[in-house]
Amino acid sequence: MSARWRYIIQESGKGLRRNPLMTVAVILSITVSLTLLGATLLLRDQIDLATDDWVDQVEVSIFLCDGTTCPPITDEQRDTLRSDLEEQPVVEEVIFESKDEAYERFTELFKDQPNLLEIVEPDILPASFRVSLVDPDEFLVIAQQFEAYPGVEDIVDQREILTQFLNFTRIVRNGALAVAVIQLAAAALLIGNTILMSAFARREQTAIMKLVGASNWYIRLPFLMEAVITGILGALVSWGLLYGVVPRVTEGLSREVLLMPFIGVQEVIAAGPPLLLAGFGIAAISSIVALWFFQDS
Amino acid sequence: MIKLKNVTKTYKRGADDEVVALDDVSLEVAKGEFVFIVGPSGSGKSTFMKLLTREQVPDSGEIWVAGKDLTSLRSWKIPALRREIGYVFQDFKLLPNKSVAENVAFALEVIGKGRREIERRVPEVLELVGLEGKAKAMPHELSGGQQQRVSVARAFVNSPRILLCDEPTGNLDPSTSVGIMKLLDRINRTGATVVMATHDQHIVDSMRRRVIELENGAVVRDQSRGVYGYAG
Repeated sequence: MSARWRYIIQESGKGLRRNPLMTVAVILSITVSLTLLGATLLLRDQIDLATDDWVDQVEVSIFLCDGTTCPPITDEQRDTLRSDLEEQPVVEEVIFESKDEAYERFTELFKDQPNLLEIVEPDILPASFRVSLVDPDEFLVIAQQFEAYPGVEDIVDQREILTQFLNFTRIVRNGALAVAVIQLAAAALLIGNTILMSAFARREQTAIMKLVGASNWYIRLPFLMEAVITGILGALVSWGLLYGVVPRVTEGLSREVLLMPFIGVQEVIAAGPPLLLAGFGIAAISSIVALWFFQDS
Repeated sequence: MIKLKNVTKTYKRGADDEVVALDDVSLEVAKGEFVFIVGPSGSGKSTFMKLLTREQVPDSGEIWVAGKDLTSLRSWKIPALRREIGYVFQDFKLLPNKSVAENVAFALEVIGKGRREIERRVPEVLELVGLEGKAKAMPHELSGGQQQRVSVARAFVNSPRILLCDEPTGNLDPSTSVGIMKLLDRINRTGATVVMATHDQHIVDSMRRRVIELENGAVVRDQSRGVYGYAG
């Protein structure tokens, strides 16, 4: 390692050790804010995962009788239903899903939940027409026209379920995001203040460095490094917390809530790089701004 | 080496209260010269020094130092300018937690010099200032005169073309001051231009070098082989 880098690393180490309590406070504050930020990222993943299979693919499901609650639909009735659906101008596309295909999709969607797959027999899931609409708000037109058709068991607006779910998760996510942003701002101010204190403690050394012609970056880099180290440490701790907690929670939830897929370890691992980047970025930016003020004064 | 042309610098103390630190100063210092800047406190000596290192910029006028036009110098080029200038302070400004050799080496480390050059140059310059046996001593173990020698060594270790000394003997007793002046004279003889701001009448009188006297920010006297006050 060159003398330059050794100097920079030594100096940033000195800065971190000068006031260990402050260093811990900064790391904790970054940890809290990034954990919240990470939680919102994961919540978004969760929403995407849960809605992936519903949104855009199907707006209306017309479930067909298979003999359990109503007489099974005949082929003739089914063909009539299909052609009438296709003639209806608000309908964009009609896809028939047989019982086998429904089961196939089901097993794919819940492949991580073997206990759920065990209790669901291929025979239980009904065949359906999955209808997408030119304008999803025209659901009532479809419902009123086709609910009386023979062989139709039920017509469900998937959007209705989805909207409720999405509204709820969005509120939780935005709340968490708002708190995360406030916490990040607090963390940024704390970092800036710590760097100012560090720069002030070393002002004589800095003054000498300036007068002997050390470059600005050489003077600033130890302070920048000091901040970036705390930022990255905070990010790592928050990543560790999410890694330890989130998969456990979602695993528990998936045992309770059977019909929804949940995120697992993979998504938590994937959230790491953005968290590290955020920790790095917030530390770098706030310390650069702080040093800028310091050099101006 | 140093040239000022109609340089004026004022400081604002309040909304309508301005202090003129330098008032239309023009002067030139040739390469290898030894110049005293004298004058009472507040006469503009410190401002003059700060303008040369580009710690301050003038309100008007032009300044050239070591071939560089300071009025148009980009801020990222300031470090290169300061590597041409050694600076000696009245209060030494040594880092208390570093030894003599480390203090001197620091000036080379922070401008990215290699270890080999540092290991060669530091003992050389410590010998020049007469501190060859004190490399490992800490600043608080040294007398004022010795500390100032360290400060001179640090200023000169990078072989600058200009040495600026701001009251270098201000904190020293007369006999110690003589030693420092001999040292500055020796450095001047190696070809470096030395500019020294001082109050010390005895030193100026005994050295008989060029004297520039400032009063209220204006040059009131510029005399080669001068003395502190008006002679006769």
